[in-house]
Amino acid sequence: MPPILELDQVTIRFGGLTAVSEVSLSLPGDALCGLIGPNGAGKTTAFNLITGVYQPTEGTIRFNQQPTAGLRPYQLAARGIARTFQNIRLFPSLSVFDNVRVAMALHHPHGIRQALWRGRSFGASEGDVARRIVELLAIFGLDEVRDVQATSLPYGDQRRLEIVRALATQPRLLLLDEPAAGMNPTEKVALAQLIRSIRERFQLAVLLVEHDMQLVMNLCERITVLDYGVKIAEGTPAEIRRNPKVIEAYLGEEHALES
Amino acid sequence: MPTILQSGAKRWLLVALLVIAVAQAASGWLNRYYLGVSIDIAINIVLAVSLNLINGHTGQFSLGHCGFMAVGGYVSAMLTIAASRAGLPPALIPGIFALSLVAGGVLAALAGVAVGIPSFRLRGDYLAIVTLGFGEIIRVFFQTFEPAGAASGLKGIPNHTTFLWAWSLAAITVYVVASLVNSTYGRGFLAVHDDEIAAGAMGVNPMRYKLTAFSIGAFFAGIAGGLYAHHKVFLSPTGFDFMRSIEIVVMVILGGMGRTAGVVIAAILLTILPEVLRGFADYRMILYSLLIIALMIARPQGLFTFVGPRKAKA
Ligand SMILES: Nc1ncnc2c1ncn2[C@@H]1O[C@H](COP(=O)(O)OP(=O)(O)OP(=O)(O)O)[C@@H](O)[C@H]1O
Ligand SMILES: [Mg+2]
Repeated sequence: MPPILELDQVTIRFGGLTAVSEVSLSLPGDALCGLIGPNGAGKTTAFNLITGVYQPTEGTIRFNQQPTAGLRPYQLAARGIARTFQNIRLFPSLSVFDNVRVAMALHHPHGIRQALWRGRSFGASEGDVARRIVELLAIFGLDEVRDVQATSLPYGDQRRLEIVRALATQPRLLLLDEPAAGMNPTEKVALAQLIRSIRERFQLAVLLVEHDMQLVMNLCERITVLDYGVKIAEGTPAEIRRNPKVIEAYLGEEHALES
Repeated sequence: MPTILQSGAKRWLLVALLVIAVAQAASGWLNRYYLGVSIDIAINIVLAVSLNLINGHTGQFSLGHCGFMAVGGYVSAMLTIAASRAGLPPALIPGIFALSLVAGGVLAALAGVAVGIPSFRLRGDYLAIVTLGFGEIIRVFFQTFEPAGAASGLKGIPNHTTFLWAWSLAAITVYVVASLVNSTYGRGFLAVHDDEIAAGAMGVNPMRYKLTAFSIGAFFAGIAGGLYAHHKVFLSPTGFDFMRSIEIVVMVILGGMGRTAGVVIAAILLTILPEVLRGFADYRMILYSLLIIALMIARPQGLFTFVGPRKAKA
């Protein structure tokens, strides 16, 4: 399978700080991979580079073999990159349903003219959107709360709603920034199952940032480790667990012994 | 109101226009004063609901709405004055008036685009200051623009704005703004309002939505300006100072930013209130300031907002 995402010697500097330094990465189209590292290692910044929030100072990013330089986040979303946010960014004034509906607009054929004219095809396609939203919400068990204000949901539900919203853009690559943060152990197990099934069902690649090592090691096929913006290791979970550099920078001795 | 608009919005508009037409027939019974106030109310509804698209739904704090109103007012008034000087037959008057309103609206919309561009980079207070500056520039321009009477004002505008014209356009403005927002496409305005970064990540182009909000909002402010000009039959640049913009902003805040029905009610109340309190006209701005402060403390969600988040119905 050809790579869906490639980073080639990507660097970004904020003033004197090099947040991501000459990182290269290649992700197959059906990947389920992890990006880990200590706080401030540059994981979220890497996501921001991939999604066009930042432009790299040096290096190139290719999505689906096409360079992404100069493309804005909404353009990359249209090409098939979707994400969730570490510090949950649901639309607070909107309901659960409407949070997903915003993302549905991307592949919705109607614009201003149809919204104003409100012909028969408008009604039909709005009905179709509503059906698809409820279907998606149902997969995540969120259809019961469709009319609830999104930000009033429990933490774990908000994280899952962010995933639903991202999926509504019909992505080919899904970036998850700490999807299990704030979840209890039961929720985490269910989440791992969900992420696996998402990849099958929606035929996409997943790259996830996560601090829960058990989750990452169980879920991911390959893992990339960042430290101070530098890629210090890459490999299967077993390889990463044994890697002395990773143990020293991030995992610590106990974790290495555990396994 | 949003729910009515969702199921059969066009029917709602037709019924509203019909009611307005019947009321127009009956409006002969009203005395001139009440008729005048009712037209003022309709004009303020057009202004407040159109500003609500920019400030309320899209979250771009604009203090320049009456700048757009001035553009529309002067443009349409100068057109109808020219037409009446040319001595066109009376049968053409409604057509000419309609065209002049549209022309004023289009020019105001162009101004809206120009003002919308800084909103790509500026947020909150900074955008408010830029839009306020824009409004003042427009006012100063008309103060020195000789063909429009400069500081002494534009006189001799034909009295074309009837109850029917004003209220029909109020109904159309409500229909356009509510229909736009109550669609899958239109949820993008609310997304930009809530979180531009998240909106961008979901494929919403924030710049396009902001420009759309500014141009459509300004278009209807321009229309309101045209109605106003042909209602008062006289335009003075001082009538478009930034206090006028503040008045419209107060209507939007009082109505609960982004709630069309609330904003309509606020526009009605805030047109009637000063009429009732005529004796205290000098203290009106103090009253408005106190109103905003009290509202921000007691009911930041707006006076007429009783529901939770927007109900989701497709
Ligand atoms: N816009 C910015 N301007 C300046 N510095 C930034 C910016 N964004 C990130 N940084 C810095 O880049 C470094 C990497 O931050 P980043 O958020 O990517 O870390 P992270 O790996 O996601 O950490 P965590 O696990 O805590 O989420 C940090 O030192 C951060 O302060
Ligand atoms: Mg992070």
